[in-house]
Order: sequence, then C-alpha cells, then structure tokens
Amino acid sequence: MAETGKIDIKQAAAILKVNPETLRRWDRNNRLKARRDTPTAHRYYFEVDLADFLADNYKYLADLAFRWAFTKESVDLPDSFYCEDSFVFKARLSKLENALLKERALADFFPLITSVVGEIGNNSFDHNIGHWPDIPGIFFGYSLKSRKIILADRGQGVLTTLKRVKPDLASDEEALLTAFTQSISGRGPEKRGNGLKYVRKVVVKNAMDLFFQSGQASVKINKKSVDIKPVKEKKYLTGTLAIIKY
Amino acid sequence: MKIEIKKFGKTLTSRDSGQEAYKAVQKQLEELKKDEELVLDFAGVNTFTPSWGDEFITPLHNLYKQRLVLIKSQNPSIAATLELLTEIYQTEFNFKEK
Repeated sequence: MAETGKIDIKQAAAILKVNPETLRRWDRNNRLKARRDTPTAHRYYFEVDLADFLADNYKYLADLAFRWAFTKESVDLPDSFYCEDSFVFKARLSKLENALLKERALADFFPLITSVVGEIGNNSFDHNIGHWPDIPGIFFGYSLKSRKIILADRGQGVLTTLKRVKPDLASDEEALLTAFTQSISGRGPEKRGNGLKYVRKVVVKNAMDLFFQSGQASVKINKKSVDIKPVKEKKYLTGTLAIIKY
Repeated sequence: MKIEIKKFGKTLTSRDSGQEAYKAVQKQLEELKKDEELVLDFAGVNTFTPSWGDEFITPLHNLYKQRLVLIKSQNPSIAATLELLTEIYQTEFNFKEK
C-alpha cells in the first residue's frame, strides 16, 4: 500500500483482479465508489473502501484469499486481511467476535464460531513459527453477509509439520486424516495438536461447514460427516486454507 | 480459592496467552491451603478454546486433581473444550453448579 494510504485505480484493479475500466464503471454505478480530490482528478481508494467492498462481496474476497495462498508471487493484500503475527490475529478475532455477538440469531452459537476460527488461525502461527517458507502470517477475512470466514497461510502445510512426529506419513491425505482425528502434533513431544480435532467435533455437532486444504488434499466437514474422507485436489497448496460457513 | 477466568480476557484462544495466564496465577496459588479447593469461574468469558485451556487447566488439573473445581458454564465453547480435554486425557473434571 502507498505511504499516503491512497490506492490508485491500477493497484485497486490488481487487488480485486478486475479491469480498471470495470472499476470506473463500478464508480459510475455506485457499486464501489472511488474518491477524487477534484471532479476531474484521478480516481483513488483508501484501503477501507476496498476492505468494505470485499467484506460485502464474498466472491472477490475468496478470489483474493486463493491468489494469496496459492501463488508463489507476492500478492498485494489490504492490511485488513493480513495478520502478520498472532497478536494482530488476536485483535482481529476479537473484532469478529464482537460483530457476531451483535447478531441475535447467533447469541448461543457465536462462541463456537470464534473458537473454531481461533484454533485454525493459531495453528498456523504455532506450527510455522520460525519456519515460514516465504511470507509469515495469515490471511483472515470474512463476510458477515455471506456468513463465510476464510483463513489461509503460506506455511509448511500439515504434512511437513506432522512428519516431524509421525515420519511414516506418506501423503497429504494421510496427514489431514491424522490432523482431524488423532491427538498428535508437529510440535511434539509436547502434548499438542488438538486444535483440528476440536474443530471437527464442533463443526459436526453444529450448523457449520468447513473446507480445509493443505498440500494436495482437502476435507469437507459438516453435520453429515460421519467419517473424515480427504480427497485429492488438482491445485497444490503449500500451506493451509480453511473456509468456514456458519 | 476462586479464580475468575474473565480476568485474563473475554476471548481466550491461543496457547501463548494460556501460558501467560498460568504464569500469572503462580504467586496466588502459593496461598492455596493444603486441602483447599481451587475453583475456576468462567462467567463473563465469551470464547474459550482447547489451546488456551490445555495451557491453563491441564497443568492445574495435573497438580490439584479433584481439588480443582470447575463451575459449570452454559457457554458452548467452554463446554466443548472441557469435553475434548476430558476425552484426550481420559480424565474427569470436578464440576459444580454455580
């Protein structure tokens, strides 16, 4: 992001992966209003403009998360979606919690959502500390309108971290099955690694859906999930990506 | 002796902050009498996770066993966390109503 906090139309187009002409049209039809210092000056945006748009338009939010997680190159992320360390994540998680507890329909349920997000996000930090391959930290974004939350990291992935304590693991599928069903951790010999087990238990018992990918394997978990069945994905992901629908 | 968990925050999710909380109560625990119960009160906590709980409750439970008393909470993240810790460590917590 520029020092001034201003994002020009070209940068904004790159973040949203649309044509600058599309942004001009969105400005004209008020879908995403641009700013101008004078009526004829160049259009620009503040980060909050793009963040608000992304939070309201899950499709673009998901696309940004996927690009950030899957590509080798660095993708320009609005600061609002990037948690460089666990302290930033903690603060953003509290913000999500506050937003959820205001929704009356979620009164008895929001602690479970926040706890699941907390476990997944903290897992990324706990398992990659000192070992981030390129960019440290996580993507953390959500759309209250779509009731979806996305977390992603560019860490080492579940297989690599679990292999430290279970060297016989042979595939990403096996690693995911272990992570979601066994009490084991990549940070052994400490007694750790209950996070994803907890996530599975909560998701299965409640009205939530989870998609989780690491490496070339993914799992989908919901109320109907009796067993965890990892499947092979076409696209390889170095770290992890989780989508929670509530 | 009673410890109000909300004094460590409303959103208790990470191992780091669970460890910090555990360190923070050590001085207070020196005053716990030989047969006295250590009561944990979760009132006022919004979100609780196994990561935090494992760093705070597990070591207390290992030390004090049945002298560690947990006040039952309606919060589903507290209930689910304690259920998971019970399952993992094959143990039983000593619960009491308010």
